[in-house]
This record gives sequence, structure tokens and C-alpha cells, in this order.
Amino acid sequence: MLSSLYKARTFVFTTLICLLSIGSGSAVVNAEETPASYHYSYWGDAVASPAAYRATALLNGDSMGVGPFKEPNDIHVTADKQIYVLDSGNNRIVAMDSSFKPVRIIDSFDRNGKPDTFMSPQGLFVTENKQLYVADTGNKRIVHLDSNGKLVKVIENPESELFQEKFQFQPARVVVDKAQRIYVMAVGVFDGFMEFNSSGEFSTFIGANRVRVDPAELLWKRLSTRAQRSRMVMFTPTEFTNLDINDEGFLYATNGDRFGDTIKKLNAQGNDILRRTGYFSPRGDIAATSQMDASRLIDIDVADSEIYSVLDSKRGRIFTYNGDGHFMYVFGGLGNRLGEFNTPTAIERVGDHFLVLDKGLGEITLFETTEYGRTLNEAVRSYYRGDEEAAFSLFQKSINMNANLEFAYAGIGKALLRQGKYAEAMKYFKQSKDQPNYSKAFLLYRKQVLREYFPAVMTCMVLIALGTIAFRKLRQWKGGRERAAIEQ
Amino acid sequence: MPQLNSERLKQPFYLIVHPFNGYWDLKYEWNRKTNLIVSLSILFLMAVTNIMSSQYSGFLVHIYNPAEMNSLMEVLYVLLPVFFWCVANWSLTTLMDGEGKFVEIFTSTCFAFIPMVIIPFPWIWLSNVISIQETGFYYFSHNVAVIWSLYLLFVGNMTVHQFTPSKTIGTLLLSVVAMGFLAFLCLLFFSLIQQISSFVSTIYQEIDLRS
Repeated sequence: MLSSLYKARTFVFTTLICLLSIGSGSAVVNAEETPASYHYSYWGDAVASPAAYRATALLNGDSMGVGPFKEPNDIHVTADKQIYVLDSGNNRIVAMDSSFKPVRIIDSFDRNGKPDTFMSPQGLFVTENKQLYVADTGNKRIVHLDSNGKLVKVIENPESELFQEKFQFQPARVVVDKAQRIYVMAVGVFDGFMEFNSSGEFSTFIGANRVRVDPAELLWKRLSTRAQRSRMVMFTPTEFTNLDINDEGFLYATNGDRFGDTIKKLNAQGNDILRRTGYFSPRGDIAATSQMDASRLIDIDVADSEIYSVLDSKRGRIFTYNGDGHFMYVFGGLGNRLGEFNTPTAIERVGDHFLVLDKGLGEITLFETTEYGRTLNEAVRSYYRGDEEAAFSLFQKSINMNANLEFAYAGIGKALLRQGKYAEAMKYFKQSKDQPNYSKAFLLYRKQVLREYFPAVMTCMVLIALGTIAFRKLRQWKGGRERAAIEQ
Repeated sequence: MPQLNSERLKQPFYLIVHPFNGYWDLKYEWNRKTNLIVSLSILFLMAVTNIMSSQYSGFLVHIYNPAEMNSLMEVLYVLLPVFFWCVANWSLTTLMDGEGKFVEIFTSTCFAFIPMVIIPFPWIWLSNVISIQETGFYYFSHNVAVIWSLYLLFVGNMTVHQFTPSKTIGTLLLSVVAMGFLAFLCLLFFSLIQQISSFVSTIYQEIDLRS
């Protein structure tokens, strides 16, 4: 008897503890404590989320048998999954196949019969037909090699009236579009990217960042004398920090602004056309809501279906967004364990896997998708393709794994709306705080309900009206009779 | 006990559509005790309206965050500004030859808030059956309520203190400034009290530990 009572009490206690811990578990999770997996809710809180990527392997020059990497700066992966690592400290390029076996090493090329080498190159780009473009920063030139490593052309000392005096051409990053136009991010250039045509002549600057003026600083400048002003820092647009190009030829760029849009998608005219319809404008960690510094984005990688990822050097995290600007997932971090970095400098996708290049350690970390990451990637892809049936079930699946994934509810809602289940669609749009789509579903639902009940309501109203008229008539008639009776 | 007959219930509605006559009657004709009861119930209804609208308003006009909903704070958001306003206005108008007593200022202020109750209250439910294109009506009527209330506040102040219109506008603006001062003084007072109490408790702790 006593023992059964004791048992019952333990049971009650354990249940209570479980309930309490559930309550505390659903509370807001601090981003600083959970570097691997968090998500931003509509309210700007960091909430728990399963990890979308997991580090599975660490690669360095020694393990691949090409000697250690020294301050590698850039990495590039071609469509057939060949990996090119720009080993800047050793002034060479290491090409690998998809299983990370070194295929060849390019450390010199033949220029007018004489061997020539790179000098601390910073950027690397490989086109679809394996043309190699190297931003040879130390030598102040861009080197274009063909697929066999033969020199095609060298771009150095470009000339234009647009350049300032004492202009030094120091290319840092380079991308090439399908029409062989070359876009260069150069050190100390504030006018945007330098665009070169296919024969290597400078054509124009594209996509300059806007000057952002601090009002307090402007006031000081107004108050100071000309001599003082000349010694102050000039208001200049911020430099870009990196760029990438997608299949359609749009440039994706990151810059080091502390405020404003740090990610840009530039069209041919240099206008920013990035969609920012997510709960927050894509910019890494949301600094405004938590007491931490803004992310400093230093690399960007565009995948298919307008999915893009950016690398934050401040906290070593990789953020991924979909084409609408919805935050998908984050992974990485600074530290000493597998999956954490010292000084990450470049990210690149190999299929759905990620490669993160660590400059300080000369290592590449390979990240592979988890079940959750795969589902979410596929869901976003099928949504982008317009395949709502597939998106519906995939979003459903990813929500089962992460109930905090608010934008996924809108994907489900849209599929339901298409199927004519308006009331249910409204519920899902409400979950994802999507007012315009909720309104769309609501209007259709309202029409449906009104159509259904209009005959009954109208009949009732007509009956009531007729009844009132009849009642009044009756009273009038009765009253008339009574009055007549009194008058008599 | 003042009777709550239909005449008394009509008074507030008469006041909001005929503010000049209404406020004159409020000051000189109507029963002060009834006025106070009506004022307090207006404040109560306003707090209820605010709580209900933050809880039950339609999704298209208000995205509800259950983590930040606090009914007690909603009540305070109504009571504190009214109290501050009355104190600030009373302190100013006493210096500026206003004829209003504190009770009159309080009742006139509360009566001015009637539009902020009767217009938003039905919209709590109406906002659930409108589309995003129709939310314009929602915001329009809320703006109407605010402007109407401000007008009533202006007329009320003018009538209660027997001021000229320009002087009334001046005192209203100055009252807002005075509210700022009041808030600052309150903060100062409370932080000082906190300092003193923590000082005393530290001394007590020290003595307690040493003995």
C-alpha cells in the first residue's frame, strides 16, 4: 500500500519535471549558446532548429599528398564537381576531382617562351569549359589560362578616363560570365566592380555601393574649417568583399557595410534586384534584436533555384537563404572542433555538400546534409520549380522536423489554396505570418461561406420584413376598429 | 446613490456630439459623483477595449505575439498617461489662472476618451471579417477616433478652464512637456529610493555578517 503510494508520487513528480522541462525547452534559445542550429522566428528571436549540415571530413594538403596549403584564399568548384583550390602562400592552384584526389597542380605558365609564376593570388574562377582566370594580386594582373594551363591572355594596367590618378590595379576576386565578360573586384576601388570585355579591355564600373553618411559626422564636418576637413576621413562608398555569378549571369555580391543591405544581386545595369520578402532582410545574424555585432559577410555562393549562402567571418557561420530572402539554415562557427574554423575565407557548394576553406589552418571542411537539410533543400527547389504537390509534402516533412520553420507553412498554405481548401490554407498562412496570402485565402473563403448561406439568410430577412409589415397592418386594422368603436 | 436612469446614460453621448454645451453642463450642471463614476467606467472600458483588441483583433491588422501580451500592462498604459496628464495639466493651469478643479480636469479628460472606446470596440470583431484591401477602413476609423478625442480634449480643457482657444493649445502642448518632466522626476525618485534601500540592506548584511 505504502509502496504503491510512493510509486504514484514518483510518477507524479517525474511527470511534473517533464512538463516543466518542456516549458523551458520551448522558450527562446540564445544564438550564442547553440552555434550549430538555430533559426530566427518572425519576432526576431533565435529559436531551436535541427542542424541542416554536419561536418564529415577535414581535408588538408598533406592528406591529399600535395604538401600543406599555405594561406589558401579561394576555392572554386565547376559544374562537373572538379575542385580548384587557390593556394596563395605557395603561389599555386591545386585541382582535384570530386573524390578529393589531386588531378594536377598549376604553379607556373609559359609567357612568351619564359616561365612565369603567380605572386600571392587572391581570386580564382573556372568557367564551364575549364578556362582558368586568376586574380594575380601581387603581380597586379589577371591571368587567363586555358584548360591545358596554357596562357591565353594577361590583363594588366587597364586604362580609362574613369580611373583616378595613381590608380593601382590590384585584382582580388574575379568572375566570368557566359559571354566571357570578366568582373573584377579590385582593392581600393569604391566605384563597384570593374567590367572587362572578352578581349580584356576595361569597359565600365558596375554596381557601386551607395555612400552612407552618419548624421553626427556630417554635423562635425559642417562645423569644421576647410583645413580641418581636409584631414578628416572622406565619405566613400564601402568596398565589396566578394562576388559570385549564377547561371543566368546575375552577380551576387557581399559588402562590409555595418548597416543597410550587405548582400546584393546585381543585374547587367548594376541595379540591386535581390528579393527581400523574408521576415528579415538577409544579412547574417540579426544584430538589431540581440546585443551582438552585425555579421561581416566575406563570401557568397549561389546555388541553383536562387538559393544562396554567405559566410560570416566574425562568427564563422554560413547562412543560407532562398530566392525570396527567407532564412533557411545556418551552420559552422569559430572553434577547434570538427565543423568549426579559425579564419574561414571561402565557401563553395559541391552538389549539395559544402566546402569551407580555412585560411589560417590551410584546411577544407566538408559538410554534408542531414535528413533535415536534404528535405528542406528539396522543398525549396520544388517550390521554386512551381511543383506545389511535391513542395507540399516536403514542407510538411520539414515542419515535422522543425516546427519553428515559419516560412514553410506558407508553402503548405499555397498548395492548400490551389486545392481549394481555403479555411485550412488560412490557418497555415496565419502560422507563417503571411498577411497578403492570408487575405487571398480569406476572400475566397468568405465568398464560399456567403454563397452557402446567402439563400437561407435572405429568405429569413424577407420573411421577417413581410412579418413586420403584416403585423403592423393587423394592428392598424385592429386599432382602427377600436377607435371606430370608441367614436361610436 | 445617484440613479443610473436613461438620462444619465445619455449624458456622455450628448457630450461627444455637442462638446461645447456638454462640457459646460459637465462643469456646472451635472452631478459630480455621477461624472466620476462615468469617468472611471470609461477608463475601465478603454482598458478592456485595448486588452481585447490586442488579443482578438483580426490577423490582417494585428499580428498577435502571445509572449508579449500582458493585460496588467495594458491597464497601466491607460491609467498612467491619464493620471500623468491630469497632474501635469492641473499643475500648469493652476499657475495660468485656469478655473478648473482637479476633478473637473479628470472627468473632462475621461469623457474625451469616449470615441476611443465606441469606435475601436466594434472593430475588434469587424477586423476579423475584412480582407487586406479593406483594412484601410479600419485604420481610417481609428484615426477618426483619435482626432475626435483630441478635439474633445481641446474643447473640454477650454471649457473647464475658461481659456481662449490659443491659450488652450498652448497649455495642452505645455502639459505634454510637463508630463515628460513628471516621468523624469518619477524615474529619478524611484532610482534614488532603490539606491537608498540597497544601501540600507548592504549595511544590514555587513553588520549581520560581522556580528
